[in-house]
Amino acid sequence: MRLITHNMLKCHVKNCTDPDKQFPLRFKDVQLEQIDAERNDEFLVRMLPRIDWPALSKTTKELDITLPETVPGNPEDDEEFLQALHTAILETHIKQGSMLCDGCGHEYKITNGIPNMLLAEHEI
Amino acid sequence: MKEQPVADTLQLSEADKEDQYVHQVYDEIATHFSDTRFKAWPVIERYLLGLPVGSIGADIGCGNGKYLGVRGSGDIFMVGTDRSKALVGICAQRGFECQVSDGLDLPYRDGAFDFAISIAVIHHFASPERRARAVAEVLRVVRPGGSVLVFAWALEQNGRRKFDPNTQDVLVPWVLPASKAQSSAGHGELTGEGESAQSKVFHRYYHLFRKGELQELFEQVGGCTVIENGYDRDNWYIIAQKI
Repeated sequence: MRLITHNMLKCHVKNCTDPDKQFPLRFKDVQLEQIDAERNDEFLVRMLPRIDWPALSKTTKELDITLPETVPGNPEDDEEFLQALHTAILETHIKQGSMLCDGCGHEYKITNGIPNMLLAEHEI
Repeated sequence: MKEQPVADTLQLSEADKEDQYVHQVYDEIATHFSDTRFKAWPVIERYLLGLPVGSIGADIGCGNGKYLGVRGSGDIFMVGTDRSKALVGICAQRGFECQVSDGLDLPYRDGAFDFAISIAVIHHFASPERRARAVAEVLRVVRPGGSVLVFAWALEQNGRRKFDPNTQDVLVPWVLPASKAQSSAGHGELTGEGESAQSKVFHRYYHLFRKGELQELFEQVGGCTVIENGYDRDNWYIIAQKI
């Protein structure tokens, strides 16, 4: 799973609705892998509004990945920013581990890069 | 004898029906199913190729990932989810971004995506309420102003299959050839066809949509404007914009 996807996820257990807790999910015991991907600057700049930056910033800090606290004024002209962003969200893969919800404690497992987001009966 | 669709007379709860006649079946037939799903349909291809650069979208019920790679060159980014672990595994092998998830309960924050597609999926939900919930989920995960594309099997078909016009809830056979049949236990039936070969037949639950029904479903769920509706390749489809 790439970090860009993680930015879209939230905990969806029944009654787990505190937006400050259910998103972003906290990584636990993760194995990361860097896989090169071709950089597309137009894509990066145009998709930026979809990224929840505070969540991405928080998550990358937890993973020891360097990313600026805020998006620069002219991202399209900032080579260093674009490269850091590209590497963080498209080239960083979480292969194993889990994602924890700070709100309800539910643990979503990631196996071979695939998150299992299914819930138990009582959690729906 | 060629296997024919039959009317659904199963006395099961909706969840059990989906579990036995959708989820378990797809997990059993995944590889063979994937082999037969390779040609992108023009309406869907047109929709994906028309999206602006930088779009991020969800493919809900992505199957083997057929549509996840249609738009190459990193212009857009798509995440697929499917209820079948086996199909998601096939997706992942192809390098696509995918997760195991139920269409009635998506793991995404509200309005996360620019677009969402759900192709030949919602007809597998076994009640009007569950189908409405599936459509509601597709719409929920898209931002205001974003769009969704949904395809569902039509009752009225032009192809090989012919459905009884009075029966919308059916079980449709899938014949798994002997060469592909799993040795593990499944609930398919052996057909005994051929000399040494024994293929297996599985039945999948479908609710076939009659003309107008998909649009009614979207209007009932609300929060969207229908932009395009049509019929293609034995399916009704809708393109709608989230309000």
